[in-house]
Amino acid sequence: MKMPYKAIALGAFLLQISAVNALDGLVETPSLTAQVQSGELPPVENRLPREPQLAQLRPDQTAGMHGGELRLLMGKQKDIRQIVIYGYARLVGYTPELDLKADILESYEAFENRVFTLHLREGHKWSDGHPFTSEDFRYYWEDIANNPELSKGGPDKLFIIDGELPKVEYLDKYTVRYSWSMPNPYFLPALAGARPLYIYKPAHYLRQFHARYQSEEVLQQMMDEAGKRKWTGVHVNKDRPYKATNPDLPTLQPWVNSTYPPAERFIFKRNPFYHRMDQNGRQLPYIDSIAINIASSKLVPAKTGAYESDLQARYLRMDNYTFLKSSAKRNDFDVRLWQTGKGAHVALYPNLNTNDPAYRELMRDVRFRRALSLAIHRFEINQVVYFRLVQESNNTVLAEDKLYKPEYQFDGIEFDLEHANQLLDELGLTQRDDRGVRLLPDGRPLEILIQTAGESTEQTDILELIHDSWLDAGIKLYSVPSTREVFRNRIFSGDAIMSIWSGLENGMPTPENSPSDLAPTTKYQYQWPQWGAYYESSGKSGEAPELPAARELVVLNDQWARARTREERIAIWHQMLDINREQMFTIGIVNHVPHPVVVSNQLYNVPAKGFYDISPGSYFGIYKPDTFWFDETRR
Amino acid sequence: MLTYILRRILTMIPTLLVISMLVFVIIQLPPGDYLESHIAELQSQGESVDENKIAFLREEYGLDKPMLQQYGQWLFGMLQGDFGYSFEYDLPVTEVVGDRLFLTVIISITTILFTWIIAFPIGIYSATHQYSWGDYGLSTLGFLGLATPNFLLALVMLYFANVYFGTSIGGLMDAEYIDAPWSTDKIISILEHLWIPVVVIGTSGTAGMIRRLRANLLDELQKQYVTTGRAKGLPPGKLLRKYPLRVALNFFVADIGNLLPTVISGAEIVAVVMSLPTTGPILLSALQSQDMYLAGSFLMFLALLTVFGVLVSDIALAMLDPRIRLGGGANK
Repeated sequence: MKMPYKAIALGAFLLQISAVNALDGLVETPSLTAQVQSGELPPVENRLPREPQLAQLRPDQTAGMHGGELRLLMGKQKDIRQIVIYGYARLVGYTPELDLKADILESYEAFENRVFTLHLREGHKWSDGHPFTSEDFRYYWEDIANNPELSKGGPDKLFIIDGELPKVEYLDKYTVRYSWSMPNPYFLPALAGARPLYIYKPAHYLRQFHARYQSEEVLQQMMDEAGKRKWTGVHVNKDRPYKATNPDLPTLQPWVNSTYPPAERFIFKRNPFYHRMDQNGRQLPYIDSIAINIASSKLVPAKTGAYESDLQARYLRMDNYTFLKSSAKRNDFDVRLWQTGKGAHVALYPNLNTNDPAYRELMRDVRFRRALSLAIHRFEINQVVYFRLVQESNNTVLAEDKLYKPEYQFDGIEFDLEHANQLLDELGLTQRDDRGVRLLPDGRPLEILIQTAGESTEQTDILELIHDSWLDAGIKLYSVPSTREVFRNRIFSGDAIMSIWSGLENGMPTPENSPSDLAPTTKYQYQWPQWGAYYESSGKSGEAPELPAARELVVLNDQWARARTREERIAIWHQMLDINREQMFTIGIVNHVPHPVVVSNQLYNVPAKGFYDISPGSYFGIYKPDTFWFDETRR
Repeated sequence: MLTYILRRILTMIPTLLVISMLVFVIIQLPPGDYLESHIAELQSQGESVDENKIAFLREEYGLDKPMLQQYGQWLFGMLQGDFGYSFEYDLPVTEVVGDRLFLTVIISITTILFTWIIAFPIGIYSATHQYSWGDYGLSTLGFLGLATPNFLLALVMLYFANVYFGTSIGGLMDAEYIDAPWSTDKIISILEHLWIPVVVIGTSGTAGMIRRLRANLLDELQKQYVTTGRAKGLPPGKLLRKYPLRVALNFFVADIGNLLPTVISGAEIVAVVMSLPTTGPILLSALQSQDMYLAGSFLMFLALLTVFGVLVSDIALAMLDPRIRLGGGANK
């Protein structure tokens, strides 16, 4: 990923040159010329901010031309939010190397990770042409986040550090400052998220729906029309930047929805006031519009094979790969394999909070968890289920990550039945029944019911293979399929002994990303839901963690939040990864599962290799789809 | 007759009331509510969930109220023509369903016509030519249609239509015509796509109808009045049309009761597989995501149509068939 030094120097030099001439030699977007001539839109130099963001093309990318319509397939209407994820215009955003960089913001300063000064771009406008200023931040903070009717529980919990809210100052029209007395490490990553924390809202548009600015009669009329009981319902409904359901809502994203739901086809049009441009003076995005067709998600692979999409990864799966490859011969598209970025594609979650006391004691013993892991033949799973295309691994960070160490991936994942049996014998599980299944101290056979959400045959196939090797260790496995809601409720209530699900959501964390997934911090962690609930509710529900290692993880997680230097954060990350390695709270099976990405041959600048995941990659987002462009046949 | 109709209409009220209760309870039976399945979905895709927002929505949607109160509000709303609010679409239910009704009706009516056009001649032929080669051949074909799973046939036809005719897969028109104003091109595009669902949904219906018509007609053809007519020298065609066929059509009229709801709901599974823009997929996804007012109001609408359709077919039968009319009179 690293460019040679010369190329960087040259690139920087070119950048400087073009930055000097930033607003000279701008090229008007062909599809907008008519509107500019008729006076509907200002010319491009007045549409870009005074200091536009210059797109930084990677070596494999080229500067493009305007035009074309990108066709996408989605499974349901709600999926149009993917465009907000793909578009990925954020106050600060990740680069493909996962560094944070100002994007919508011209720049920002973070002092000790607790005082954040954000500088907006002068002349930056919303998609309707209204200036984007600190007033939009004030509106969010005072009239939404701190409005007792709109936000019942107060501002989002990411704003609250040790019970303290930030001091928010609007220094001038283009400068906003958030300051806490303690570090808030969550703030910047939250602004860069796939689903970002929106700390700015189009005040000029939303005011008309707000009780503070609008008369009661007008509000009442709006409520009646929308079928809402309170004015807040109308306001919330109009103000959904992430769901993109309201075409009237001004936005800063590269493409703006132009279709009112319900519909089967959504058209996103280019934002004429977008803040990025390329080195040749073309305002981005290159592509004029995005057409999303809603089709049943099961038909998406077939439709993609029939070339009804120009850029498709959603709803495609690894087992569609051969079909797509053979369709690519008939149609003009290319099938690429990207990587998924989860810590483990599939992982077993022993429930340390299970209700059954005999199993609870076993699950909490690290020797038992390690024995389970040693009795899994991961190589066989890789061969049988994944054609040897994946990596056998614990549930931990991926090999490409800066925090990676080989022992995190490989410790305790070798197939070693002898050692597994020895560990189980040490636990006193020496009695067996006539099937050879070990007996619990109370005489019951050691039968582990693994809950599955019943969504993929992939998981049941894997469980079938684990079943055979576990039986050689004297453990009988049953898989229990159910639906997603039932599955979760069984885990939360402690009825589940063990479950199977995917591993760490973000397998490519930076030290600046919160390590909270490694510690009991929410009830949605299937290995310790009760301990997570305890932390999440500050002790009001759930149970306090009883294992010393789990308690230590909680302490480390809190220390990370207070850490002031990058070195401290790196050290804490490693400590937490190491505890998870040693304790094996979750049993990872494989990761690095490839994901097929179909790209039209007429579409340029889509990387040949990449990570396909929502966090932190925002799917295509960090690869900047506003720089993708079509060749002349499609413009 | 009038009192009969009146009494039937009055009994519809408690029937519908019971149905509404059943619908509401059954939709609520799975654990959790819409917001919980919404959270589960967000999390399975790795998206963050804002608990404050969820709490706000729970109150906004009235999901924090006791179930009885929710039921009451829904029921009284429906009486005033307010079918509630769809959480999934964030729109009133009528707006969600309304758009799709038209295309659903088009598909359903075409399918019904297709079924009749194919089934009638074949049914009559195989009854009048019982145990002939033609009868066997056509019956085999009919059974094949009945036995082939609809969704499989749909997928196979979609694939071949795409590879050989270049028709886009699924849907009811090429993408560029969706939400576009009506034009000749749009109609042609619809016709190009329409035949697959019509044939797929039609095949099983056709087979069933052939069997029923054949059986009913065979019953009649054995009867003495047919022999008498034939003995008196009536031409075979006229004899068939004038007497046994008309009697054999009773089942057909009785079917109207089932027809009305199917016209509105379309064939759900096939519609999902072929991703048709009809109401079926909406109903299915509403049930899956526990979007209760959308699912509930839709099911209630179907129930109303069924009850009403049965009434219509009963009245039609009574008018058509003197035996039913007179039998009803004799009971009084």
